[in-house]
Amino acid sequence: MRELTVLYDASCALCVRCRDWMGQQRSLVPMRFVPCASDEARARYASVPWLGEELVVASDEGDVWAGPAALLVCLWALEEWREWSYTLTGSALTPLVERFFHAVSSRRRSIGAFLWPDPCEGGTCKVPAAHRPRAAYR
Amino acid sequence: MNETSYLVPVYGAYAVVTVSLTVWLARTLFKNGAVFLEDVFKDAPKMADAVNRLLVVGFYLLNLGYAAMIMKAEHGDTVIQAVEVLAWKLGALLLSLGGMHFANLYMFYRIRRRARLAHMPPPVLPQMHAPAYGAYNGHAAAYTPGA
Repeated sequence: MRELTVLYDASCALCVRCRDWMGQQRSLVPMRFVPCASDEARARYASVPWLGEELVVASDEGDVWAGPAALLVCLWALEEWREWSYTLTGSALTPLVERFFHAVSSRRRSIGAFLWPDPCEGGTCKVPAAHRPRAAYR
Repeated sequence: MNETSYLVPVYGAYAVVTVSLTVWLARTLFKNGAVFLEDVFKDAPKMADAVNRLLVVGFYLLNLGYAAMIMKAEHGDTVIQAVEVLAWKLGALLLSLGGMHFANLYMFYRIRRRARLAHMPPPVLPQMHAPAYGAYNGHAAAYTPGA
């Protein structure tokens, strides 16, 4: 695998903050972040049924993960979190991860609006700038 | 014999045992740790050697420093007391050496595990296979950090 494409919800403040956090971590696989509502995402991943509903991650080889599995693959791509991705998979923690993910994902807009209230729909006015530099490598 | 004269042989024995134990342990660590580190730094053997040496220097500093700090004995009035004091100090030293040794082993394990993790596949199988249509053409909507 040479690249991971993360299809996230750009209209949700929480998702955008998570994207920024992920973008600043050291990654073992290069990651691209593409809003799931963008033309590129709709054109290239039209066959993915979860697009726009759930977090979707696609590899350059065409493998697609959605929902909690996509979160685990995102963690796997980050150097500091790869060990956790294995710990959280295939253990008693897995159902907890899934429940946590669904609980947060289904309420992502209200959580974002509650944590960073602003007049825009879904709290997109105060969304942080998208060009913060990645943390220096080592 | 005056009251504190037993302390001198206690200190002497303590110093000899401390230094020889630390040297022996550090050499064991150096020899066997090299195997772990060579496995991790396959493409940079000099790096493995350097990390190993630096770890051993830290091991010496911590152990000898701690041993010097706990050397001072309060009582050495009788032979029995002297032996007890020596035993107590050597016990404390051995326990701390053991702790240090396992901490070092754990570090080797972590370093090696990290290197192995870098080549492992994702923890979950993909839900579907969907080759992306068309090449990425630098669409403005894409966000690549640091790019």
